[in-house]
Amino acid sequence: MRIRAERDDLGDVFSRANRAVGTRSALPVLQGLKCEVTGSSLRVTGTDLEMTVQTQTEVETLEEGAAVIPGKILEQAVRKMPAGQVTIGAEDGDVEILGSGPRFSLKQLGLDDFPEISESTVGGTEVDGEALAGAIAQVTTAASTDAARPILTGVLFESTEDGVRLVSTDSYRLAVRDLPGVGIEGSGLIPARGLRELPRTVGSSKVQVSLDGREGVFSSDRGALRLRMIEGTFPKYQSLLPDSYPNQLVVDRDGLLEALGRVALVAEDHIPVRLKINAGGVEIAVSRQDVGAEKEFLAGEYSGSEELEIAFNPRYLADGVSAITGDAVRLQLIDGLKPSVLDSADDPGFLYLLMPVRI
Amino acid sequence: MSGTPILHCDLDAFYASVEQILDPSLAGRPILVGGGVVVAASYEARAFGVSAPMNVRRALERCPDAVVVSGSFREYSDYSDRVMAILRDFTPLLEQISIDEAFLDVSGTMHLLGDPAAIARKIRRRVKEETGLPISIGVASSKFLAKVASAAAKPDGLLVVNPDDEIDWLHSLPVRAIWGIGPVTERKLHDRGVKTVGELAATPVEALSRWLGPGAGHHLHALAWNRDPRPVQTSRRAKSIGAQSALGRGLTDTGDLSGVLLHLADRVGTRMRKKHKVGKTFTLRVRFDDMTTATRATTFDAPLNTTSAIHHAAMALLDDARSGHDGPLTLVGMSMSKLSDEGAVQMELALDDGDVSHAGSIAADHQAEIDRQIDLARERFGRGVVGRASDILNKDRRRVDDGFRELAEKD
Repeated sequence: MRIRAERDDLGDVFSRANRAVGTRSALPVLQGLKCEVTGSSLRVTGTDLEMTVQTQTEVETLEEGAAVIPGKILEQAVRKMPAGQVTIGAEDGDVEILGSGPRFSLKQLGLDDFPEISESTVGGTEVDGEALAGAIAQVTTAASTDAARPILTGVLFESTEDGVRLVSTDSYRLAVRDLPGVGIEGSGLIPARGLRELPRTVGSSKVQVSLDGREGVFSSDRGALRLRMIEGTFPKYQSLLPDSYPNQLVVDRDGLLEALGRVALVAEDHIPVRLKINAGGVEIAVSRQDVGAEKEFLAGEYSGSEELEIAFNPRYLADGVSAITGDAVRLQLIDGLKPSVLDSADDPGFLYLLMPVRI
Repeated sequence: MSGTPILHCDLDAFYASVEQILDPSLAGRPILVGGGVVVAASYEARAFGVSAPMNVRRALERCPDAVVVSGSFREYSDYSDRVMAILRDFTPLLEQISIDEAFLDVSGTMHLLGDPAAIARKIRRRVKEETGLPISIGVASSKFLAKVASAAAKPDGLLVVNPDDEIDWLHSLPVRAIWGIGPVTERKLHDRGVKTVGELAATPVEALSRWLGPGAGHHLHALAWNRDPRPVQTSRRAKSIGAQSALGRGLTDTGDLSGVLLHLADRVGTRMRKKHKVGKTFTLRVRFDDMTTATRATTFDAPLNTTSAIHHAAMALLDDARSGHDGPLTLVGMSMSKLSDEGAVQMELALDDGDVSHAGSIAADHQAEIDRQIDLARERFGRGVVGRASDILNKDRRRVDDGFRELAEKD
């Protein structure tokens, strides 16, 4: 193969595909990007077997063909070329990258060793790409990163009566996002780590989504992000959502986020933030033996029977408040040892269930 | 003598001495304390070549007239507390290092109580009068030398090492006198012609490092010149809490090992809960019958101290520790480290029954409650009154009574 294209176009296509390339991989060939040239299209595939990015760009084709090229150095080599056209040629196990002057010659990886990746993108439901990306950002904040609990590292996609619901939990908090009117068919547990890459890989204003039971495929005019589903059953979360809450506090969202930003200066590790909620609002306090303390009062509307105290991991609480859209956030409570729910008065489609810290 | 403010006080044949006090008919007779294994022997028994830890049957072959007693743990603990209380009358700077040993720094109380040698004589007299126990004391300028001196003073003696003569005296001793030189290191040194501490001191540190490893080489060379900067520490804050168990000729069966590990987990967990500590890191150490060892560690999401979580972690690491080695295990040990005070716990959602290894899960909360009830019952009625079934059924296997272990682990 041999192609020529603008440096920045090549850099972008390689960087999108590299999102799926792990830094440490069991198979050496997975450090590579598979580059295929047909017609005037350069198609680039990166995969770690769990996540695959297939993307393409228009190029000037000098010779059709295919090669697997070490991904990180390919991207960096192209990006560090002088501005302008860059030529990439692959022949006899070597790769040549030419700018106007500099010339890299790299070793290819084995084309035959590169895993077979399905090409199918047939079917799928077209959805609003921005709404989908927003929903993914809201729920993935609650997903676990603990590889020992694989099911909790995923986002559950399940169809509802009038649309699709996204759910994730790390067992301390649970995020639920409904997208009414979005008719994604099927269901499945998609790795949150891969979903977070959607905007940086194939995110676009229109995205086709298909869940085929084995993988979730998100495709657009920029390419396809294929995520292998996590096997196993997502925990039954519905029963965790309390029917009603006797106590509700409504406070300014940005005010609460700023307060939690100050709390974070003192709290680290597992130091909880303590909330004392009463008719006028909420007192927010944190103290750490060897550092010091911070305390403030945030006015709000409280409808509850009595003064209530509850403590949270400050990071988990801030994650939930950040994920909420709108000007005001509502904190619904039962008591200091039961799960609380954060949501927005303006947006009934999202809720964030959070377990407190027992002092 | 003001340059020798450190005292090392060491009760002589402590368990055996207590038994002789409790039963005066045993006075002057050889005594073996222990069950399957000799945990302590009186000086009368030691004269026959008996020492701990030796199989009781073998000890009786050497000393057929010895009386075997099984151990009066509460009395040991009481006597120890009484002796330590006496020692505290002479200085607040006391570091208890085991049930029958303590370091004292008397530099702050000499102007009131007399020089260190006079203080040591008073201590010996009071301990003898008030408890009946013989205690040996070494007086020197450092903890290391005081310990060497008390060993040289035994039994029932006092040795004051004059700072002007301390190096000469130390150098005249066999290398084995140094705290930390056991039979293996002693043999290595003897093989190279190093028999006395003086010869050790004259050996270049590079050579010692080559023979014994860099850490031990530097350490022993420093000790040979009485360079021991460690102060007497009143409250040694434990960095880890652990327990270990020797397994005789060895165990291979996972079920048997699980029983031993549960027992150790119970001991570690109980001690942590008593001190209101939780730990984030768990370490398992095993030794095989060919003396090779393997160590594995794991870190919990959140620190904890439940017996079941510790046992769970041990079992999870056991397979890994045994991979690549199919020999029987002759020793297992475990410890919890990265300790912190019990405190806030992030609770888990009730997604499932939960995992005992996750503090704040339903399962962990249940186990914590079980531990709490067991601890309470044992506090009131004694250790043997309640426990986990598999642990209690395993009891016969143990070669050393738990009472001794508890005393040894007493904090």
